[in-house]
Amino acid sequence: MKTLADLKKIREKAQEEMKLRGSNVRIKIVVGMGTSGIAMGAREVMKAFLEEISQRNLTDVLVTQTGEKGLSSLEPVVDVIEEGKDKVTYGNMTPEKVRKVVVEHIVNGRAVSDYIVSTGS
Amino acid sequence: MQDISLHLLDIIENSVRAGAKCIRLRIINDAQQNVIRFIIEDDGCGMDVDTLAMAQDPFYTSKVERVKKVGLGIPLFKQNAELCNGSFSLTSEPGLGTVLTADFELDNIDRLPLGNLKDTLLGAIIGHQDIDFHVNLIKRDKGKEQSFHFDTQAIKEELGDIPLTYPDVIEYIEQSLIEGIQNTNMEDV
Repeated sequence: MKTLADLKKIREKAQEEMKLRGSNVRIKIVVGMGTSGIAMGAREVMKAFLEEISQRNLTDVLVTQTGEKGLSSLEPVVDVIEEGKDKVTYGNMTPEKVRKVVVEHIVNGRAVSDYIVSTGS
Repeated sequence: MQDISLHLLDIIENSVRAGAKCIRLRIINDAQQNVIRFIIEDDGCGMDVDTLAMAQDPFYTSKVERVKKVGLGIPLFKQNAELCNGSFSLTSEPGLGTVLTADFELDNIDRLPLGNLKDTLLGAIIGHQDIDFHVNLIKRDKGKEQSFHFDTQAIKEELGDIPLTYPDVIEYIEQSLIEGIQNTNMEDV
């Protein structure tokens, strides 16, 4: 059974890490979670990002969900926002594509051009 | 939508867009009454009587910036509830919030399965760190009741400035949800 005491341990561990590395969010991922996105598998895309963050122990990545923004034919849609860089929008995402985006873009800093549907603000 | 848990995610996103700070989800699985009830309650901006009626119309959307003027989330959920001898209601008060209730007949052959409730909740909770989620799962059968309560407020207080996307926290929330869903037999409904 998970208890709040487990959380206390997690907090202590996280605080130790932050002392060493700082607590900055380096990159923000926004998964479109409107009706059409959900119907096209956006929840599984979101889940894949959470799994990758957890498995790769990425502590400087923030993942959020948002409503749809008029790219319904390209759902599921994901924005990757990095400070000082143009926003990158990926379309027709799947859990497999998510894994590739995490390795190449989030970890190694090279956007996966094959999946990009638009860039810029 | 292939299952009810996807509808729930969709409805939760409506609450988010309505500016909710707190979203309550209750699922009551009552075998004796042969009904599974979903209640989603938020403290968002709410709707007036006219908007409330329009929200159930597939050709209405609140998004002014959109070219494509449809909003299928609520109408599809309503249709799926009514398709299996269930019912659907939406009540709201401007400034106070909205309550959506959907009943599905449990043993109806046309009822959608509940689906992956855990991933719906995990995504919604971690994807909206500034919103408090209260989840209540209740299973009633033969006079016995099992329940699960999950409250992100307590977790956030314990974590302080550690974000919910911290890897161990994701795992913690996922494990808690798995346990709760198993204890209330909601994994295969």
